[in-house]
Amino acid sequence: MRILVADDHDIIRRGLKELLASRAGWEVCAEAKTGREAVTLAEQLRPDVVVMDISMPDLNGLEAARKIRKSLPKTEILILTLHFSDQLVREIVEAGVRAYIMKSDADRDLVAAVEALGNHRPFFTARAADMLLDGFVRPHAASPDPDAVIRNRLTSREREIVQLLAEGKSSKEVAVSLGISVKTAETHRANIMRKLELHSVSELVRYAVRNQIIEA
Amino acid sequence: MPRVLIVDDHAVIRRGVQGILSTYPEWDLCGEADNGQDAIRLAGELAPEVVIMDVSMPGMNGLEATRIIHDVLPETKVLLLTLHSSSEFVRSAFRAGARGYVLKSDAENELVRALNVVIGEGTYVSPAIDARAAKESIFYNN
Repeated sequence: MRILVADDHDIIRRGLKELLASRAGWEVCAEAKTGREAVTLAEQLRPDVVVMDISMPDLNGLEAARKIRKSLPKTEILILTLHFSDQLVREIVEAGVRAYIMKSDADRDLVAAVEALGNHRPFFTARAADMLLDGFVRPHAASPDPDAVIRNRLTSREREIVQLLAEGKSSKEVAVSLGISVKTAETHRANIMRKLELHSVSELVRYAVRNQIIEA
Repeated sequence: MPRVLIVDDHAVIRRGVQGILSTYPEWDLCGEADNGQDAIRLAGELAPEVVIMDVSMPGMNGLEATRIIHDVLPETKVLLLTLHSSSEFVRSAFRAGARGYVLKSDAENELVRALNVVIGEGTYVSPAIDARAAKESIFYNN
């Protein structure tokens, strides 16, 4: 089984590799430091499983997962996080991620989760499953109008731009980074602020931290 | 061969440090602990040259454990390995008797460089920490 490991921290990548190396027949075929690197390497190498941190610079794990699942539907994805988020668990599942574990529990859960994914079975701890079920029992409890929720849902491109703006990039830098015009970048930015009902970059940064798009 | 004790509540970090040290045969990983109390007990038993210590751990945190190890085993150098980059934390670390401060986001070779500095009686602060704050933290103690 071939595994791609993505985390922006050298020490964590090394630790994940050591934990995965305990299984014969498992090979870490590549390492990525950002979500964008993970997407590129996954498309080149077509690994069986991607083990990925949720908070990474440039493109976070959630967005990278969406892209990988879109181009490689057979590749299974595991997301690692420092803290479970009941707001994110549903998005994570909707992105096609089929295992969600805490970094603090990696020694207990990582090998079991990758093994499950290798057999195309999902892996969720009881706590993650509870949060996920809660989300389906009370869908969008905060917003009573489902049409508004769908209308205000960010597109994949917009979510990418939220991260770049929250990392301090200007509209021009966003445009260069994504190969789009400055005018398009500015339009995306305006749409993001309207959909999220935000009025300043500092509010956008707070949103990004709260949703684990960037680290605090 | 200098012996190292690694203390972190996250196994993935302990395995990461083990993996790094395995590529540097001059360092010997002699033990590991996942909390401050066990760190103090093991440091007492093993008297390692260096303790690599996390800050945020359940129960006794790494700063408190550093203070005690520094008191009981003044020859043992404590190197903090943490996610926290604020100058407040750096100051508290050196006040507690730490000899080095490395971030979990630093590159692998930063940890090895720090080990070499503290074993040579020097003081090490990650280059990712604000330089002025780092200097102040160290001068405060000397």
